Amino acid sequence: MGRPKKVFFRRRKVCKFCADKIDYIDYKDVKLLQQFIPERSKILPRRISGTCAVHQRPLQAAIKRARHLALIPFTTD
Amino acid sequence: MRTYELIFVVDPRVSDEDVVTLTNDYKTMITAGGSEITSEENWGRRKLAYPINKINEGKYVLLNITSQDGKTSLAEVEHRMRQNDKILRYLTVRTDEDLKRAARRKRPASAGGSSAGSTEPVDGPGNSDVDDEEEV
Repeated sequence: MGRPKKVFFRRRKVCKFCADKIDYIDYKDVKLLQQFIPERSKILPRRISGTCAVHQRPLQAAIKRARHLALIPFTTD
Repeated sequence: MRTYELIFVVDPRVSDEDVVTLTNDYKTMITAGGSEITSEENWGRRKLAYPINKINEGKYVLLNITSQDGKTSLAEVEHRMRQNDKILRYLTVRTDEDLKRAARRKRPASAGGSSAGSTEPVDGPGNSDVDDEEEV
């Protein structure tokens, strides 16, 4: 009746790696990894990116390897 | 059989020819240790994401290595790289296990178990190439 129904459309987050069927997360693929490091170059948490646990773990490792090789920054100042 | 990836970053002040001789040095070391080099990539000069020893650029070289179990001289090679101050960074990664795991995941053997009471084995005839995942 009078009450307007508030409808939230929250976009469902989907793990990028599951959706794109990326099975091996390569630390050399800077373009891919860059999607998971926002401005401050921190690793984007699962909560925000929607990555599933199975893929977040190798993603973390890949980002850390890429950092070591100076492909990706540790921080940005 | 194991596969490795060895990647290292050389000081950009080292000339390209010297980089090649340096990599050849390491390659002979690796092959002498009973491993094989399957491929080699030279990325050339690349900007570093952050300065290392006040250097802003680096020359990247990537080697793909295959070896029989437990027969590598990679530890030695790493040791040499550590001592060489022309090498800014190096990284050895064993890749066979991860690639194998990835290949296994490619064939979706995921018995989701969402439907109740289905105790049959999943690998029945006919559904060998079912590729769609149901997500609600």
